[in-house]
Amino acid sequence: MSHPTEPALHPDQEPVRYLHAHFEDDRRFPWGKLWGYVGSLALTFAAFGAVAQHLWPPTALMTLILGLAVAQAGLQLGVFMHLRESRGPSWQIAGLALALFIAVGLVGMSIWVMLFKSGVS
Amino acid sequence: MSLPLERELEGMPLEFANHEESIKITGFWMFLVTDVLIFASLFALYAVYQGGMGGGPDPAEFFHLGPALFETLLLLTSSFTVGLSIWAMRRGQTRAMTAWLLVTLLLGAAFVVTEVSEFVADVAQGYTWHQSAFLSSFFALVGTHGAHVTFGILMALALLVQLSQRGLNAITARKLFTFSLYWHFLDVVWIFIFTVVYLGGKLT
Repeated sequence: MSHPTEPALHPDQEPVRYLHAHFEDDRRFPWGKLWGYVGSLALTFAAFGAVAQHLWPPTALMTLILGLAVAQAGLQLGVFMHLRESRGPSWQIAGLALALFIAVGLVGMSIWVMLFKSGVS
Repeated sequence: MSLPLERELEGMPLEFANHEESIKITGFWMFLVTDVLIFASLFALYAVYQGGMGGGPDPAEFFHLGPALFETLLLLTSSFTVGLSIWAMRRGQTRAMTAWLLVTLLLGAAFVVTEVSEFVADVAQGYTWHQSAFLSSFFALVGTHGAHVTFGILMALALLVQLSQRGLNAITARKLFTFSLYWHFLDVVWIFIFTVVYLGGKLT
C-alpha cells in the first residue's frame, strides 16, 4: 500500500518480503554450536543408556530412541547446517520436506506391507 | 582466482556473496535431498531383511555397541569441529578455519579406520554379506555410509590444498560450506544407523 503523497510503486519495484536474505548471527563465542554439541552428546548417551539399562519393553524403548534420534537430527539441521540461511527463499526446506515425506513413506510402507506374512507364504 | 562480490545486502557471508556461488549452495542441498532418498531405500531394505538370519548370527549377538558408540562420538565431535571451521571462516580467521578442518578430517579418518577394522573382524569370522539377508542389508546400508565418509575425507583433503593455494575467496568459501553441509548430513544419517541398526539390534 502507498502513502497518498507518494507516487505508487510499480509492482516490479515493490520489495518482496520473502526474498529478503536471512543469515544467522553468531555471537563472539560459538555458544550455539557448543550447546548443539553438548545436546547431541546428551541425546546419544540417553539413547545408549536407555537401551543398556533395558529401561522399558522393546517397543516402547524403540519409540523412545527413535524420538531421540529425530530430536538430534533436528538439532544438527538447525544448529549446524544453517537450515534457514539463503539469499532468497529457502528452497532447501521445501526439498527436504518432500524428501522426508517420501523417506518416511518408503520405510513405513515397507515395514507395513511386510507385516502381512500370511499372505506371502 | 576470485569472483566479483555483490555485497548489496548487509552482513552477507562470503560463501553467499557471489550470486552464482550461492545458487550452487542451493544446488548442493538438492543433492542432499536425493541422498536422503538413497539412505531411505537402504533403511527400508534393512527393516525388511533384518529378520532373515538364514542360520547366521542375529543382530543381538552380531553387533558390538562399544565400537559403535566410539564411532558415534567421533562423528559427533567432527560435526562440531567442522561447525567451528565455518564459524571461523565467517570471521575471516583462516588459520583457525584450516586447523578445525584438519581436526575434522582426522576424526573422520579415525571413524573409517574403526569401521573398516570392525568389518574386517566380521569377515574373518565368516560373517560376510553372502551369509544372510540380514548381513547383506547391514553391509549395504552401513557400507554406503562409510563410503560417503571416505569420499568426504578426500573432499576435505582437496579443499585443504585449494585453500592453501588460493586462499579464502567466494569459491573456496562456498566449497567449504557445502563440505560442512555434506559432513553434518552424514552425521544425521549415522545417528539413525546407530539408533535403528546398533541400538535397535539389541532390542530384538
